[in-house]
Amino acid sequence: MEKKAKIYTYSVIYSSTENFSNKTPYLIALLKDNRGNKKLSFIEGYDEHQDIEIGQTVIYLKDDDKGRAIYKLQDGTAFGRL
Amino acid sequence: MRSVSVIGIGETKMGSFPEKSIRSMIREAGSKAIEDAGIDKSQIGAVYMGNFNSSYWCGQSHIGALAAEELELTGKPHQRAEAACASAGLAFRQGMLAVACGLYDVVIVGGVEKMTHVSTEAVTYGLAGAADYEYEAGIGATFPSIFAMIANRYMYEYGTTRDQIAAVPVQSHENALLNPDAQMHKSITIEKVKAGFPVAYPLTVYDCSLISDGSAFAVLAATETLKDAGKNKKVIEIIGSGHGGDSLGIAKRENITSFAATKLAANEAYKMAGLTASDVDIAEVHDCFSITQIINTEDLGFFKKGKGSQAVIEGQTAIAGKIPVNTSGGLKAKGHPVGATGISQIFEIVMQLREEAGERQVKNAEIGLAHNLGGTAATCLIHILKRRQ
Repeated sequence: MEKKAKIYTYSVIYSSTENFSNKTPYLIALLKDNRGNKKLSFIEGYDEHQDIEIGQTVIYLKDDDKGRAIYKLQDGTAFGRL
Repeated sequence: MRSVSVIGIGETKMGSFPEKSIRSMIREAGSKAIEDAGIDKSQIGAVYMGNFNSSYWCGQSHIGALAAEELELTGKPHQRAEAACASAGLAFRQGMLAVACGLYDVVIVGGVEKMTHVSTEAVTYGLAGAADYEYEAGIGATFPSIFAMIANRYMYEYGTTRDQIAAVPVQSHENALLNPDAQMHKSITIEKVKAGFPVAYPLTVYDCSLISDGSAFAVLAATETLKDAGKNKKVIEIIGSGHGGDSLGIAKRENITSFAATKLAANEAYKMAGLTASDVDIAEVHDCFSITQIINTEDLGFFKKGKGSQAVIEGQTAIAGKIPVNTSGGLKAKGHPVGATGISQIFEIVMQLREEAGERQVKNAEIGLAHNLGGTAATCLIHILKRRQ
């Protein structure tokens, strides 16, 4: 998966499992990169009621403790107007 | 393969029953099915049980043995089928195949789930295991959130509106008002659906199927062994069966707004029955979420792609419509005891084909289809049933 990808689709989760209950509401997205690869990722940097759109760009941030990639919303695109 | 028929059905009311154990629900629904079939228990050759997650929610595994003991069938071969929300559909097919190939003349198939006694977090965690535990649940995805992502993508691709999607649970709640076994007896509106607790945006609690306790059973028999089967209104023949699969997780899929498992299972079932979608009179389809019902009715061939929600708004899926869908109230309002749901759907189809569905009876229904999904449509079981007169 490339370091830069676009949101193919997304959801904001308000009802989670216990492991994620201190993060709600949080954003997850199915990402698609330029090569056509898809990956489901946690997206850092989401504020409640922020406008998220399909097609919005996200950037690789870090791996979680199990080696799964976490992405973040790209600076300056907080309202998804790409 | 021999023709196989459903000769008896039984179910519990669906709901929240803190006083009922899985054992007592099995006894209630299983005994009703055996009594309905009018057979002696000694005729039953084997027991097939659907159950998703009693191991976690109730501490009880080995549901096949529990069911055999509770139904006084100890000594008969028994097994548990697990395919998430399609567990009972799978148990039904396993039992059907055993009769079809001549191993037994009569079997009992059932499903059971008890889930309302645990916390919402524990239900969410247990259901998340129907998706990919490591790469979906592990990054924070819940089961509703995966279908919420599918809903967002569907609206993006087809221009369907939030109001159109919300029309689906409104109709399911109306149908459930006419079903005494349904968990939910309450009308809702599109506005109420949209204003519900946002479980996983854009889906609210009213887009999600219910958390339920319940059990459903059917007795299956080789049609050739039944005397006067053609004259007995209670004998409903299984004329098609299909079982389709797909990847466990959604990231591996080219397209997430249509389910390959449904199309594969439908192709198999329609071919076996010698039918097409336009021959189906009634259907119970797996509405684990509002968006899922829309996609299912398109994948089954009832409506063109992108038109599933408009069909609901136009009344085509209503009890008096062109193709009544989820007359029982569906998973949304009849209830969704996960490991029992596939047979709960078949229960409704059999009731309709026998013309025993009371106030929600569809007129002149001869052919009915039950569509049961597991996980994020990683598994699909479809059965087509026909009245013999």
